[in-house]
Amino acid sequence: MSSNSALERTINKVLSQKETELISQIDSAFQESLKNLEASRGKLDAERARIIESAKKQAENLKRQIVGSSRLSARNKELVMIETDVNEAFERAKAWLASSSKDESYRALLAKVVEEAIPSVGSDDVIVECNKNDTEQVKKIVADLSKKNPKLKARVSDQPINAIGGVRVKSADGTMSFDNTLDSRIERLKPLIRKNIARMLRGEAGEE
Amino acid sequence: MPESTASGIEYTKVAEIKGPLMVIDGITKASFDELVEIETAEGERRLGKVLEVGFGKAVVQVFEGTTGLTVSGTKAKFLGKTMEMPVSQELLGRVFDGLGRPNDGLPEPIADKFLDVNGEPMNPERREYPTSFIQTGVSVIDGMLTLVRGQKLPIFSGSGMPHNILAAQIARQASVVGTKEDFAVVFAAIGVQYSEAQYFKRSLEESGALRRSVLFLNLADDPAIERIITPRVALTVAEYLAFDLGMHVLAILTDMTNYAEALREISAAREEVPGRKGYPGYLYTDLANNYERAGRIKGKNGSVTQVPILSMPADDITHPIPDLTGYITEGQIVLGRDLFRKGIYPPVNVLSSLSRLMKDGVGEGKTRADHPEVGNQMYDLYSRAQEVRALAEIVGRAGLTGTDLKYLDAGDMFENHFLKQAADENRNLDETLARAWEVLSTLPEAELTKIKEKYIKAYYKGSK
Repeated sequence: MSSNSALERTINKVLSQKETELISQIDSAFQESLKNLEASRGKLDAERARIIESAKKQAENLKRQIVGSSRLSARNKELVMIETDVNEAFERAKAWLASSSKDESYRALLAKVVEEAIPSVGSDDVIVECNKNDTEQVKKIVADLSKKNPKLKARVSDQPINAIGGVRVKSADGTMSFDNTLDSRIERLKPLIRKNIARMLRGEAGEE
Repeated sequence: MPESTASGIEYTKVAEIKGPLMVIDGITKASFDELVEIETAEGERRLGKVLEVGFGKAVVQVFEGTTGLTVSGTKAKFLGKTMEMPVSQELLGRVFDGLGRPNDGLPEPIADKFLDVNGEPMNPERREYPTSFIQTGVSVIDGMLTLVRGQKLPIFSGSGMPHNILAAQIARQASVVGTKEDFAVVFAAIGVQYSEAQYFKRSLEESGALRRSVLFLNLADDPAIERIITPRVALTVAEYLAFDLGMHVLAILTDMTNYAEALREISAAREEVPGRKGYPGYLYTDLANNYERAGRIKGKNGSVTQVPILSMPADDITHPIPDLTGYITEGQIVLGRDLFRKGIYPPVNVLSSLSRLMKDGVGEGKTRADHPEVGNQMYDLYSRAQEVRALAEIVGRAGLTGTDLKYLDAGDMFENHFLKQAADENRNLDETLARAWEVLSTLPEAELTKIKEKYIKAYYKGSK
């Protein structure tokens, strides 16, 4: 029996050693798992923070993009509306000029544009063109100028031009011309007038 | 200002039409550079400018080309002013063609001023030395070839390389860090393909950068002569935004080679004595006229920084266009064919590149204290890596020392971790420098001979 008890003791000892070993292994595995979990948690937190940060950046960019493009779109719509109003203002002004009575101030203006246009062409032999309504007045102005400058050989064309007022002067050989019609003058000054109309529409003071 | 009411004489005596030029006879009044409005027999209107006057003749360069013009029936109206660009803050967010006319379906912007597109010369005494950093979000530029406000830093590229993608990326991402001052981008596409123009436009629209940008698009199928004007109108707008409105403006001009080709075309038509490769003798002066329109002015807030992009014919850096550009500008960013073939974007060959003003725009109080030294060390690292690569080609890896092998790996890491970046990746300077330190940390500490001990202690993560 003694040999049996010795065997039992040995078995018990081995079992106990193994049990201790296993418990220790389980403990260390448990500790390791805890450590891994802790490390993963740190990584997970960092990753979560990175994702949130990146999403915040994206959201900020998207916000800026949406706000920016909305502002741009609003500005562009305003520009189109202003342009429509500016064009309408020009059309009305032209219609008013065409229909207004040709009073003394208009006659003075006509004389000024003829006097300005003839020397611009740089020739003394010129043809002056104007609309049907202004023909008589222009003939008178040209006759007066010819009296003042005997070298000037100017004649008024019989063919009326399509303009709301003013004159177009051509050299007799037709190689040079100077357009001093009101239409042309308005067209030349349009950018400045347009700026002033836009300022008025926006409630800012227009330039004189 | 629009032309005075006294200007606008129209001439009908066209003596000759030759290439992009038109000779008009019987001229009594005309001035050099005067703007000319040409009306075809069919009533179509084009613009041109006077190149020469004398003996009753004027030579007019027609911007939109002379195709379809005939000697009889063509009228030329001399407008009594040079070419002008209407400018105002409303230009931001708009798209124009190469001559500065709206190209986005909207009306002309309401102008505050009309500025001569040839610009006003900047008084050299009033120029202020550029010293402030512009962040492009591209690591290799910010870290090693830093762009400084008021600098002119060209990109030398080659046919088929991604210079336009890089240009659009810089336009989208560029910013002035640490200030509340306004930043704007003026983008001039000169002779680009339709698809490229659309790419630029879409790229800025989608990123939301269009609201702070002004685009000038001269397409490849637009008349070549228009290209002479495109950089001038773009720089006029840039100067207005910078010096009248106080904004920091980045002007990107791509592709200046197309501009020089247009200059050569006009020169040939004028039968001028050709210079190198047929370009006119005044190519240097003409390029300088554009490039020198960058800088800062004492007492004014804004700045114009220029990034002209040019594709070198046959990748030849000695070609007259890159050669002369290099004399005028303050450094260059060179794109390398080898890197491009390896699939690395942006394929910047740092060893051929240089930003001459970087030293004055980086470091303590400007970017980060270790920035200049990190940049120098990165140059050293890549240069050594390239030498070792060449040596390895001959003796093989087995014949290299341990340090050589470290350089070989560091060179690969430099290309793949620092240089390589996605076209939509915007890296801030801290991220760029962090990546640089990660590359430097692959080398033994003793190899970092260009960096102060205190910075190594603070940022180095490698082994002794």
